Amino acid sequence: MSTNLALVDPVVAPSRAPRPDRARPDSDRPELVEVAPTRAQRRARPRIAYAVVAVAALGLLLLAQLGISMVLSQGAYTLSSLDGQQTQLARTQQSLSEQLRVLDSPQNLARNAQSLGMIANSTPVYLDPKSGVVYGTPKPADPAEATGNTADQVPNSLLGGVPLAATKGDTAASKENGATADTATTGAAKTPAAGSGAAAPAAPAADAGNTGGASASTGASAKSSVESDANQLQAPTTR
Amino acid sequence: MTKTIRNRRLRYSVVMIAVIALVAVFVVRLVDLQVVQAAELTKAAEQKRSIPVTLYGARGSIVDRNGVALADSVTRYNIVTDPRLVAGYTGTLGGTRLKKISVDQALAAVAAASGGDAAAMRKTIDDDPESNYAYMVKGLDVEHYEAVLALKVPWLYPERQAARTYPTAAATGNLTGFMGTDGAQAGLELAYDKCLAGKNGSETYERGEDGVQLPGSTVTKTRAKDGGTLKTTIDSDLQYMALQDIASAAQEIGAVSATATVTRAKTGEVLAVADYPTVDPNDVDATTDKGAYGSRALTDTYEPGSTIKAAIAAALIDQGKASPTTQATVPYSRSFPWGGRISDAEYHPTENLTLTGILRDSSNVGITELGEALTAQQRYDYMRKFGLFEPQSAITYGGQPGMDYPASPQWDSQTNINSMFGQGISTTALQVASIYQTLANDGVRIPLHFVEGCELPDGKTIDAPEVAGQRVVSSAAATDVVKMLQSVVKGGTLVGMKPISGYNVAAKTGTAEVADGAKGYGADRIISVAGMAPAEDPQYVVTVTFTKPGPGHKFSSSAAPAFRTLMSQVLEKYRVAPSTSEAQLYPSTW
Repeated sequence: MSTNLALVDPVVAPSRAPRPDRARPDSDRPELVEVAPTRAQRRARPRIAYAVVAVAALGLLLLAQLGISMVLSQGAYTLSSLDGQQTQLARTQQSLSEQLRVLDSPQNLARNAQSLGMIANSTPVYLDPKSGVVYGTPKPADPAEATGNTADQVPNSLLGGVPLAATKGDTAASKENGATADTATTGAAKTPAAGSGAAAPAAPAADAGNTGGASASTGASAKSSVESDANQLQAPTTR
Repeated sequence: MTKTIRNRRLRYSVVMIAVIALVAVFVVRLVDLQVVQAAELTKAAEQKRSIPVTLYGARGSIVDRNGVALADSVTRYNIVTDPRLVAGYTGTLGGTRLKKISVDQALAAVAAASGGDAAAMRKTIDDDPESNYAYMVKGLDVEHYEAVLALKVPWLYPERQAARTYPTAAATGNLTGFMGTDGAQAGLELAYDKCLAGKNGSETYERGEDGVQLPGSTVTKTRAKDGGTLKTTIDSDLQYMALQDIASAAQEIGAVSATATVTRAKTGEVLAVADYPTVDPNDVDATTDKGAYGSRALTDTYEPGSTIKAAIAAALIDQGKASPTTQATVPYSRSFPWGGRISDAEYHPTENLTLTGILRDSSNVGITELGEALTAQQRYDYMRKFGLFEPQSAITYGGQPGMDYPASPQWDSQTNINSMFGQGISTTALQVASIYQTLANDGVRIPLHFVEGCELPDGKTIDAPEVAGQRVVSSAAATDVVKMLQSVVKGGTLVGMKPISGYNVAAKTGTAEVADGAKGYGADRIISVAGMAPAEDPQYVVTVTFTKPGPGHKFSSSAAPAFRTLMSQVLEKYRVAPSTSEAQLYPSTW
């Protein structure tokens, strides 16, 4: 309530004003007057609440602004570090895919295959999955009749430092004494040839038997291969 | 009382004047800063804060038919320095402890990390210590670059550099060509440079004191544009095999150079163009012979020799002037009223040969006897329709011969005769392949091409060649010639060639004399074999050519093993169904 009242001492400062209850002898000094504002005046006076709200809002805004710029600059740091990481990873990716392409080159594949003792088979055999026809007669690959030569004729300077990917000990053996490697591979080639030959020899056998060829096979699945015998035979015998 | 008032006024005036003067100064300064110097100052400020960045537009790759990269872009790094700043410093040099590091120590560490030469670096710095830019090492790959970077030498700066790598190396070096310091130097790199080349862009950003980019300050000035991908129809594996084949064969028979081509008969797509000797585009300097920088199969012309006889025979049948069984009496040699004389490669008594027999034995005398049924103009026109005397329309490749020929032949009487067995006219190896593609494709020539087009990053394809087919001879004529050419393999000039098990092959040999440049022919030969398989329905056309084979290998039979090997590889690689019946041959004699 006291804030709403103005104490006025026209001559002396209020602090120095003598208290009203302490009656002073010199009565020429006027009494302290209490000025009471009218209702309208009171209403027109600014309310403290508005000020508080305004100041608080301003403060909030500033805080929000600060917060946002903090987050933004924090984001900038994150971005910059991620950028760095991305560059790093892109470099790694590039160098790896470059290596892959070098390893993938025909030169590298061919020399590795050769160092493992592989040769190009000059008598390929085909199976037509649609008709079940086998073209050609399977034979073990013969190094003497290999298709294509083995010495590397096509330079690739990218392969300078690329080692041959071979099994331990095998590389040296196949490089140093090709003979042992050769026998090893022909030996290895023989086994699957004999295994897969089980289907193909059925054809010549049936051919020889000609009339009773079907009796050689028993199962229903084998029967279908017999049905295609006519074609199967034609290919190996005429070609 | 009035004095005080006057004093007060005076004071007011002084203050006002002072204020106005101050404001005036501020205004002048403001105008000066904001208007007069504005542009310069903004620029200076930007330069101080903003960092320009080059956005790299990568050069497009060249890929084969399976998407395998024949040429690809990679990033390499140069290490540069400012020689004025080079001095000893205190740092770790990759270690953990801070220590004093001399220039030589730093350079030695850099050399070890980069594989460079410390002495050379020192020399570069000492040579021009006042310059502000010098290369220390060039072209580092990522690993070496990161090793150098880890040393944290304060006066070394990295610099990005776009480089090119060719994973298939020499196998396709003849076609891809290569890049030099001034851009594309040869091959497809040069021919399609416009599409392959990327365009660098630029952007700027502003950064704070600690080097971190200020948010929202990035300004892209120009966008980077990547180059297009050049798609070829080449099969890099097959081309490798082809090169292996002809390279070893050429060395065996002592040939100076060799070419091989493989073409898909029905589409005119070239699957392989091999050239020996050739260049490894990763290491161009290793090839001293500049002639091997490109593709001789595309650029070198030679007199094709007897491989042309198949075209003459097709023309004869197409015009109804002969059939595969047309009979001719063929002596060993033939003399002409103008004093000219031709003979067959080997002596033989006079024989009764059919057209089939003439092709089988590759008789020069025989083909001229029958070929004269057509006028020179007719034969010339047929050859032209087969693709001779004209630039290869669907192939863009630098160094191709001009092939600027008149509409009518400018042959003298002797050349008119010689042209029927392939002397006195010139072709490239690929043009011969084009003749056999036409025959293999029922008489329709599809311009041979090995580029499908250049695919831009937005998916649009440009530079696609025009490959519309054009009928040259009737289907019957083409089929007849293919059938006749089987006799060459079965009992003719290729009888020595080991048959390709399971397949009927139609082929023709050529043994051409090489003009020695002095209006005559020397002892040098160009031997070749061109053929197709399987003969019933030809799928692939293969040609091999060997230039100047050594003594003992002057006949086309020396080219046969390479042809056979390559043809077998093609048939096996593309899983061609074997022939189902024995070759039906026309009679060769009567």
